[in-house]
Amino acid sequence: MTDTNISTNSKAKAIAAIVLPYLLAILASFVASGIFIAIMGFNVPKAFATILFTSFRTPNGFIQTLLKFIPLMLQALAFTVPLAAGKFNIGGEGQLIVGGIGATAVGIIFADLPLPILLPLVILAGVIFGGFWAAIPAWLLYRFGINEILTTVMMNFVSFGLIDYVATQIWRDPAAGHPTTIPIGAGGELPMLISSPPLHSGIILAIIVAVGVYIYTNRTSAGYELIATGANPRASKVYGINTRKMFLLSLIIGGGLAGLSGAIEVAGYQHRLIEGLQSNFLLLGLIIGLIAKGDNSAVPFVAFFIAVLEIGASAMQRTMMIPVEMVFIVEALVLLFVLLSDVIRRR
Amino acid sequence: MTKSIVLQMEGIRKVFGTVVALDDVNLQLNSKEIHGLLGGNGAGKTTLMNVLFGLYKPNAGKVELHGEKVEIRSPKDAINNEIGMVHQHFLQVDSYTVTENIVLGTELKSWPTLKLEVEADQIRALSEKFGLAVDPDTIMSDLPIGVRQKVEILKALYRGVEVLILDEPTTNLTPQEVDDLFESLRVMVDEGLSIVFITHKLREVMSVCDKITVLRDGQNVLTEDRENVTEKSLVKAMVGEGLNVEESVVFSSVVSGAETRWGASEFGEPVVKVEGLHAQNEDSIVVIKDCTFEVRQKEILGVAGVAGNGQQALAECLMGVCPIHQGSVIVDGMNVSETETRDLLEGGVAYIPQDRLLDGFLPTASVAHNLILGYQRNQAYSNKGFLDWKIIFQSARQQIDEYTIMTPSAGDVAANLSGGNIQRVMLARAFAHPSSFLIAHNPTRGLDIRSIDFVYKKLFERKEAGAATLLISEDLDELFRMCDRIATIYSGEIVGILEKGEFDKYEIGRMMSGVKAND
Ligand SMILES: Nc1ncnc2c1ncn2[C@@H]1O[C@H](COP(=O)(O)OP(=O)(O)OP(=O)(O)O)[C@@H](O)[C@H]1O
Ligand SMILES: [Mg+2]
Repeated sequence: MTDTNISTNSKAKAIAAIVLPYLLAILASFVASGIFIAIMGFNVPKAFATILFTSFRTPNGFIQTLLKFIPLMLQALAFTVPLAAGKFNIGGEGQLIVGGIGATAVGIIFADLPLPILLPLVILAGVIFGGFWAAIPAWLLYRFGINEILTTVMMNFVSFGLIDYVATQIWRDPAAGHPTTIPIGAGGELPMLISSPPLHSGIILAIIVAVGVYIYTNRTSAGYELIATGANPRASKVYGINTRKMFLLSLIIGGGLAGLSGAIEVAGYQHRLIEGLQSNFLLLGLIIGLIAKGDNSAVPFVAFFIAVLEIGASAMQRTMMIPVEMVFIVEALVLLFVLLSDVIRRR
Repeated sequence: MTKSIVLQMEGIRKVFGTVVALDDVNLQLNSKEIHGLLGGNGAGKTTLMNVLFGLYKPNAGKVELHGEKVEIRSPKDAINNEIGMVHQHFLQVDSYTVTENIVLGTELKSWPTLKLEVEADQIRALSEKFGLAVDPDTIMSDLPIGVRQKVEILKALYRGVEVLILDEPTTNLTPQEVDDLFESLRVMVDEGLSIVFITHKLREVMSVCDKITVLRDGQNVLTEDRENVTEKSLVKAMVGEGLNVEESVVFSSVVSGAETRWGASEFGEPVVKVEGLHAQNEDSIVVIKDCTFEVRQKEILGVAGVAGNGQQALAECLMGVCPIHQGSVIVDGMNVSETETRDLLEGGVAYIPQDRLLDGFLPTASVAHNLILGYQRNQAYSNKGFLDWKIIFQSARQQIDEYTIMTPSAGDVAANLSGGNIQRVMLARAFAHPSSFLIAHNPTRGLDIRSIDFVYKKLFERKEAGAATLLISEDLDELFRMCDRIATIYSGEIVGILEKGEFDKYEIGRMMSGVKAND
């Protein structure tokens, strides 16, 4: 009896030790950004209420948040999974774009196939194309030891050219003012869970993937090898882990996750490829991954929190004319304070 | 002559979570004194020095320098107060030169040219004055560990210190290097420095220290002048009544190869056959030349040699980590050049690497993670690729008990372990998994006496159970005590193999410098 008491007690303490710094960091960042907002002459409590509660006040707000949450979380995982093996994937947006291209291509070329066949193909194409886009830097690293940070970033720029070519040359939709492709076949669209306000089934896919990543990294021998490689590649090699293969694999998995986010944007949301679909997901994904300190199981929660901030920020801009960049400041400050709390705790 | 007090630490207390690492600890350092700080693994030695160096903030207690209270909140404060520290596990920039490593973080006199000539000259002068022979222009990665140690000391001296802390500086040094270091320490003391010297080797304490403080479980147990203690009284202070000296391998075995009660036995079949082994490192430099030997069941084969003569390459060849260039290595029926390291581990080869931090440790992972490194696909822990954390934690807790790994829990991050406790993790991992062949490279490095004794007993138990062991060590006493045969390695070549009964320090010493047996 006392034994279980002690263990639940210490578990609660352990959780508090993890969550408390986060709460303090969030609080501190709100105080700091509140000062900015006040200086700019806006109503601080109202601004914060908008940022924090827009997501929860209306069904539409909540669904908007979920829709934002999907790509953010996948982008963050595309960063943190390779990070677990000690590799930096800064190519998430390129992999998203190329994944989106793959999904669109399949969705247009096989437009007549029925949903049970076309939808899986569209999604799979996104994953494979995204994985392939990451496999190029991964292979350059494996074969020639070329630093993956440089190559993944550069692959982003190549993807910008690629999407432009696809959206203005191959499958251009002449009716659209912005570089956009023609729509994919109806069988390639993710079914709706709720029709109004619209929520597509990509959210289920995203949650399954998040759980899958957690199981892979925390519960399997292969995931153990990934984490061991990140913790000490030399020791992992001495103890029989093929670390170079782990580097390769982790980057390709990351690319596949980013590619999936591109496929979901296409199949769930746009139903076509629109230039600029990558938005600023890469940057936010990095911020989420870093706030989560690379912990894959924390990523979904942090991603949801950032999605709330993002949705709140656009509402704040609409209703109060506070520039949406304000929320970038909040996000950056949260990151800063989380990192700071680490430094303080270590002493 | 009455000595003045340089440093006084009083009532120092430091708590990490639930671990009380230091409990009301005092330390007094006189000027021009070499003060030995002793204690078992996890006794709090490193923590106490980290407090002094400003790395940890104590929960209670005060520090006085020359009778004046000082607040040391960071290493920068420590350096401003002329306190320098050489860490147990130090960090250096491999691709930098010695000079660049030493001046890193100091104000450069040659700024902004970055030529560093003035600094290099200054380092040369220091190294001459204190007898720490180092060429300031060499690239760090080209230097053996013993010289890197000297660089760390020069780093402290360059910043100008009055109090120098040396945390286990001798663990990586050869006996000759240790003697040289002690001479340098004497010069430093004559120049007016005061030194805190941490070690587990009583012989070193007796030969170089003026005063000795012993910690046990974070508390003071003894502070005495060297004249008033013996090796035995120090052991007693360190371990309490815990070590039965009569039963101890370290104390009872006769160091000359004579029979001991753990001694000779009938050997069985060869487990390991190495024939004409050649190996090269990544830079195509030959590291192993034409090695041929066998290790039989019930045998402990020793490998003697000055560090850096191919010992690590030999171990890694047998583990399938370093590629085999020529020749053959058969371990327990497995052809090593055609077998993956992980299959060797599964097939019953265990390994204790010499550089625990670099080659065997996952600092950011949990203790439990560390205990199964290399065995993550073992059926005991995983089922169809899924890890069974319940079993892993169970066996981790068992090993934490058996190997007395001091940690609050198996899930705690391994980076919190003390140096010796990290070594215990290496040992637990190697001993806890059944193996017909063990490669143990300096297995007792950084361990306290009780743990060393424990390792020796484990090695003898293996022997009795019929397993084969390759014991690579720079400690001749250890080899004489433990081995049935001793091979001596010199620049990648086995110069000669002596049988028990023929062990001879001078003979082996000659072979260690490259002179062939019977030359
Ligand atoms: N940063 C830390 N966080 C948590 N526990 C710590 C930390 N540093 C040290 N400890 C704990 O404090 C105790 C004392 O550790 P310390 O490193 O001072 O031992 P030591 O005397 O230097 O031992 P060794 O001879 O093995 O190096 C150990 O139980 C260790 O696990
Ligand atoms: Mg220590």
